[in-house]
Amino acid sequence: MIGPATLAAMVVPVGVPVGVLVVLAAYTPVAGLSYNTLVVLAGVAAVGFAAGLTGTLAVLRKRPLAGDAAAHATLLGVGGMFLATGRRDLPTLLAGALVAAVAALLVLVFLRRFTRTRDDAATAIVIGVSFGAGLAVVAGITARGLPGSGGLAQFLLGHTAALTARDAVVLTAASLAAVALLAAGFKEAVMVAFDADFARAAGWPVGLIDAAVVTLVAVMVVVGLPAAGAVLVTALVVIPPVAARQWTDRVGTMFLLAGTIGLAAAVAGVAASTLRPGLATGPLVVLSAAAICAVSVVFAPRRGWLGRRWREATLAGRWARGRLLEECLALADGGGGAFDSRLVRDRAGGDTAAARRRLRRAWDGLVWQAAVQPAAGGLWMLSSAGLAEARERHRRIAAWRAVLDAGLEGARDRFSLDLPPPDDPPATGAQSGSAPAAFPAGGGGP
Amino acid sequence: MTPSPPPPMLEFHDVTVAYGRRPVLWNVDLEIAEPCLFGVIGPNGAGKSTLLKAALGLVPVVGGSVRFSGQPLPRVRGRVGYVPQRETVDWDFPVSVMDVVLMGTYGRLGWLARPGRRERALAADCLDRVGLADFAERQIGRLSGGQQQRVFLARALAQEADIYMLDEPLAGVDVRSQERIFGVLAGLRDSGRLVMVVHHDLRTAVEWFDRVALIDMRLVAAGPTAEVLTADNLRRTYAGRIELLDELGRAVAERGRTP
Repeated sequence: MIGPATLAAMVVPVGVPVGVLVVLAAYTPVAGLSYNTLVVLAGVAAVGFAAGLTGTLAVLRKRPLAGDAAAHATLLGVGGMFLATGRRDLPTLLAGALVAAVAALLVLVFLRRFTRTRDDAATAIVIGVSFGAGLAVVAGITARGLPGSGGLAQFLLGHTAALTARDAVVLTAASLAAVALLAAGFKEAVMVAFDADFARAAGWPVGLIDAAVVTLVAVMVVVGLPAAGAVLVTALVVIPPVAARQWTDRVGTMFLLAGTIGLAAAVAGVAASTLRPGLATGPLVVLSAAAICAVSVVFAPRRGWLGRRWREATLAGRWARGRLLEECLALADGGGGAFDSRLVRDRAGGDTAAARRRLRRAWDGLVWQAAVQPAAGGLWMLSSAGLAEARERHRRIAAWRAVLDAGLEGARDRFSLDLPPPDDPPATGAQSGSAPAAFPAGGGGP
Repeated sequence: MTPSPPPPMLEFHDVTVAYGRRPVLWNVDLEIAEPCLFGVIGPNGAGKSTLLKAALGLVPVVGGSVRFSGQPLPRVRGRVGYVPQRETVDWDFPVSVMDVVLMGTYGRLGWLARPGRRERALAADCLDRVGLADFAERQIGRLSGGQQQRVFLARALAQEADIYMLDEPLAGVDVRSQERIFGVLAGLRDSGRLVMVVHHDLRTAVEWFDRVALIDMRLVAAGPTAEVLTADNLRRTYAGRIELLDELGRAVAERGRTP
């Protein structure tokens, strides 16, 4: 499942936080990375990795906010567990949180299935009601001043810095268990996320698989509580998959990459929080994830905003150039005649200001490359290079029309706006004429 | 430089639309000079709907221009009525048939103004024309497919546009609704409107359209229906789709027999 491309893609997000750590280590004595920091680092890194992995499932199943509902319910579970047992050690409280999270998800499933409430509305109801109840319980506990109740509110925002070694072991174990579960049911989970009806028709217990997925997300949310708190833990579940999706079109790669990004964000957040006292770790972890996500959304080569804009602009620019040449050729009476540059641009069309700007720029390109040259009386004419390019384009358009008209197998798959040479044209003589090298505009694909 | 005859009602000039480098429409040149019932015909995935959407500015174009009576779209939006495919809206939405048809009048009302008696009368009249006068208060989900399509048509009628563009108005529609819809469209044509319809069924195309364009990514042919729907043009449009060709041949042959 892990190809070289995957490994390469994993190096980038891992490399950044590792670099940060190295810099930190260089500036502080080794003792500066205290035992406490290392404990926090290990626990949060495990949580980050597992949250990214399971979050991918939630995002692919198009239920990213199910985790949010579970997360907000955990406060009620924590408060309730404290009331019931009077203990406030992490495993006890997390057990309460887990019960509440699963209960919230069950309510969500119920609302979805038995009322005609939409998914997002149902999620909002569960979030609001469970969180309100949780706040009320915790406020009641705090007001009564029960012994040891001081830390409960920390579950709202996380208390990463206060993790003990035992906590870290608990978190790591739970994360590993979640990852193992996911690895075991990977095939089934992906199938249901992709096409639930197909799975159902093929006899798979889709309801059960969905329930398992949702429970897994709930577990991960609960495990992530100490790291980020009830409000922020959703970010750890949702942001890494969204970032990972930008870099890959493979589901397996996406899982691993999301886990890696979650881990990287966790490490970077912890590292950043050691820079000066008073920096909260949980929020920094989430902000690190958001930063990785922002970079991914903008700079990812295929899906990223920058790359898409650039490809669109190049394509439109090349198209504009081709249109101008077509009109030049037509106005030049198929050869050496002179023409008015404005008339060429008018005939090339363009309804929007952007389209006209593109045509103007393409014209400047033709002038710059001497594809057109000035003629007498302020007019222009095609140079020999421009004429060759225009004629080649004309020829290819005609050849492609012939190929498309003949309806040859696969012709449409080979066709693109770059007008590649129509290799296997029907025997219409379309192949004769100048060499393909005389067509610079179409030759240089990305 | 401008020629003296009035500009065509609708004019596509070298319209190109692409997903990445794959063209969906490639250099489509099309002129419709006068009011008529115009069919856009072609196989699945030929770019028929995209042609309408490009004209209405609903998809980004790589290049080319569309003119309505010589004007670009922003100047004539109010004069163009669009009937989208039925699947594009949420039929569970809590609105009545009358509410939907009234939305056709919103464009002329502008911001903040509420529809009054005039608009309600117009909407009721439009509903009557499509044969749904008795359904005005019904929630839109509780209609048959053909009735839903007629609600869309009534909403477009309430726009009182000059040019109508309909995307597969007859897909999944019962015969009664089909005839009703075509009757209304023919009425629009007779009152001087241009009606452009994306359509996939050749038999009904031969029956109803004055002019057609055959499209498969590029424009194959356009003009009067009988001249365009020739065996040769159809072969070029549906190239490679043999099983369909037989059916087409039969449709054309039938057309030859009926005067």
